[in-house]
Amino acid sequence: MNKFKRIATYTFLSAAAIVSIFPFLWMLVSMTNRSVDVTQGRLLPGTHLFENLRVLFESVNMVTALVNSTIIAVITTFFTLLIGSLAGYGFEIYRTPGKDRVFNLLLLSMMIPFAAIMIPLYRLFGGVSSTVSFLGIDTLAAAILPTVITAFFIFFFRQNTKMFAKDLVEAGRIDGLSELGIFFRIYLPTMKTTYAAAAIIAFMNSWNNYLWPLVVLQSPENQTIPLLISNLGAGYTPDFGVIMTAIVIATLPTAIVFFIMQKHFVAGMMGSVKG
Amino acid sequence: MKDFHYKKSWLIALALAVFLVLAACSSDEESGASGDGGEEPDKITAWAWDPNFNIAALDIAKESYDDDIDLEIIENAQDDIVSKLNTGLSSGSMKGMPNIVLIEDQRAQSFLQSYPDAFYPIDDYINPDDFASYKLAPTSFDDQQYGLPFDTGVTGLFFRTDYLEEAGYSMEDLTDITWEKYIEIGQDVKEKTGKDMISLDPNDLGIIRIMIQSAGVWYVDEEGTNVNITDNEPLRKAFENYKAMMEADFIKANSDWSQYLAAFNGGDVATVPSGNWIGASIEAEEEQSGNWGVAPIPRLDMDGAVNASNLGGSSFYVLDIPGKEQAAEFLGDTFGADEEFYQELVNEVGALGTYTPASDGEAYQKENEFFGDQSLISDFSTWVEDIPSVNYGMHTYAIEDILAAEMQNYLKGKSLDDALADAQGQAEAQLK
Repeated sequence: MNKFKRIATYTFLSAAAIVSIFPFLWMLVSMTNRSVDVTQGRLLPGTHLFENLRVLFESVNMVTALVNSTIIAVITTFFTLLIGSLAGYGFEIYRTPGKDRVFNLLLLSMMIPFAAIMIPLYRLFGGVSSTVSFLGIDTLAAAILPTVITAFFIFFFRQNTKMFAKDLVEAGRIDGLSELGIFFRIYLPTMKTTYAAAAIIAFMNSWNNYLWPLVVLQSPENQTIPLLISNLGAGYTPDFGVIMTAIVIATLPTAIVFFIMQKHFVAGMMGSVKG
Repeated sequence: MKDFHYKKSWLIALALAVFLVLAACSSDEESGASGDGGEEPDKITAWAWDPNFNIAALDIAKESYDDDIDLEIIENAQDDIVSKLNTGLSSGSMKGMPNIVLIEDQRAQSFLQSYPDAFYPIDDYINPDDFASYKLAPTSFDDQQYGLPFDTGVTGLFFRTDYLEEAGYSMEDLTDITWEKYIEIGQDVKEKTGKDMISLDPNDLGIIRIMIQSAGVWYVDEEGTNVNITDNEPLRKAFENYKAMMEADFIKANSDWSQYLAAFNGGDVATVPSGNWIGASIEAEEEQSGNWGVAPIPRLDMDGAVNASNLGGSSFYVLDIPGKEQAAEFLGDTFGADEEFYQELVNEVGALGTYTPASDGEAYQKENEFFGDQSLISDFSTWVEDIPSVNYGMHTYAIEDILAAEMQNYLKGKSLDDALADAQGQAEAQLK
């Protein structure tokens, strides 16, 4: 009976694994096939990988898009972590009257969909364009700024800070560390796993971000990867083999970031801190 | 106190770092898009989609233009252009907007009517009578011509000559037929060859639009404002035809574009009634060369219906920002006047414009080997002239979503009167 149960479990899990990994495999297979083969659902690897790569790199500026996406994602991730953790730490450690009300207000802002603030934001950046041109429409800075910090990350860091041993703060103060010293020398090293988890989420969000970069970035020199892929699929006769190749390349950086930080990510999501 | 100073200077340092990083990642060169300042821009920008078609057409126009113009052509997906334009224009900031933009005809009125001040009339730069008449209603507003009519979506009945022959039909049997006749032939083909007649996506009523425009009506009335569904005889007929096709059991259903392409690239269907632009996708499967032909699109069985219709097609618009005169002149001298340019367009890109003086050129007479040496372009440009003109109004796609849902109810057994009346009610409620 026990054996039967085990077989059933493994059968179910294998089926679930196949279902979840199949789209990814199909993507890898399709990057080696002709567009016509892709549309006809060919499941075997073909011989068109290099042809697809050649067409991709000849027809669009993949390198520029990769560089732009990387710049945006890295800067966004850095400032998200810095500001998010400072704010989360502040909300949890310090006592201020009305602190929780402010925090609730912040959480409320999570409910406003981005599409609702997009037009005012565009207007704002349009207005800035004529005076401070490096912050205006069609600059990477404009793509980064509105996405650099969201209430989610402040919430995320505050929740995780609840696990942080507050005695350490007291100990730091007695030993004469400044408040920022405590943050950078004690809090930051202890919370590494939380930072890793937040880094993965922030990097992925930024790397895959579509709507705001689409609206605010105009010139091809500033194009990001999701915009480039959107363009590839926009023709009257899209080349699906080439599109798949571009998607595989676009997936690689997030996959790499995830695998590097995977160990910390799991620990960070569990909210555990080893004291 | 010391602590305070430390904190303060640290914050200033951070602010400085943010400033420097942001400054560093903004490009040094001034962006090409024009601002809302008064001075002439050094560069004209154009947004369009599809590198092999619209972008290629702009490239050729740029080359054939005699005057000096620094034109930057930027490729954006069509849906992306719609989002970008909507955001930019409704924010009231024209910053970052292009000088020239390509808009699909069925969407044009929603832009022209929502943002009338954002576009620049080009009556002084072209002669609207030079273009196919059906293109003028969607591209003009308030008696002013805003759009430069570009490609046509003139429809044709693409068909597999080998399958039809096997079932005993020739080009002649498919010429100038009604949809009823088409369904009859379809049943016969299915019986004799086992092949489906057509591939349809239940969520895309493109074929309904083809049918009703061939009778000169649309989802809205002639003014383009009132929903016109219940008393719309051609639409009623189109629904009946659609149901008859479904019941004839010769439809290969698809749920997205790639499956649609696969249906004919894979040789599963005998006909593809669609816009002329589908030709490029059909030719993508080289092995089927010589096995395709194109007949005129079937018509509705009623007075006033013709064997010509339209699906898709788009036009160029000039935004009312600095550089508009230069942009309009460029469009007027190329797309608006240059017959040679249109010959090149046919030869190099396979794009069929709606500039009628060009249709006598030699490129239009060329035979197409893939389609059994048929003079495809010439045939299409003859049919272009017969396309009835309709006012697409502002809400084609919103109404179509409602109709697609009611179509499913109708197929499941709801009476046609009820289905159309419900659609009319929903559409009126939604668009008020």
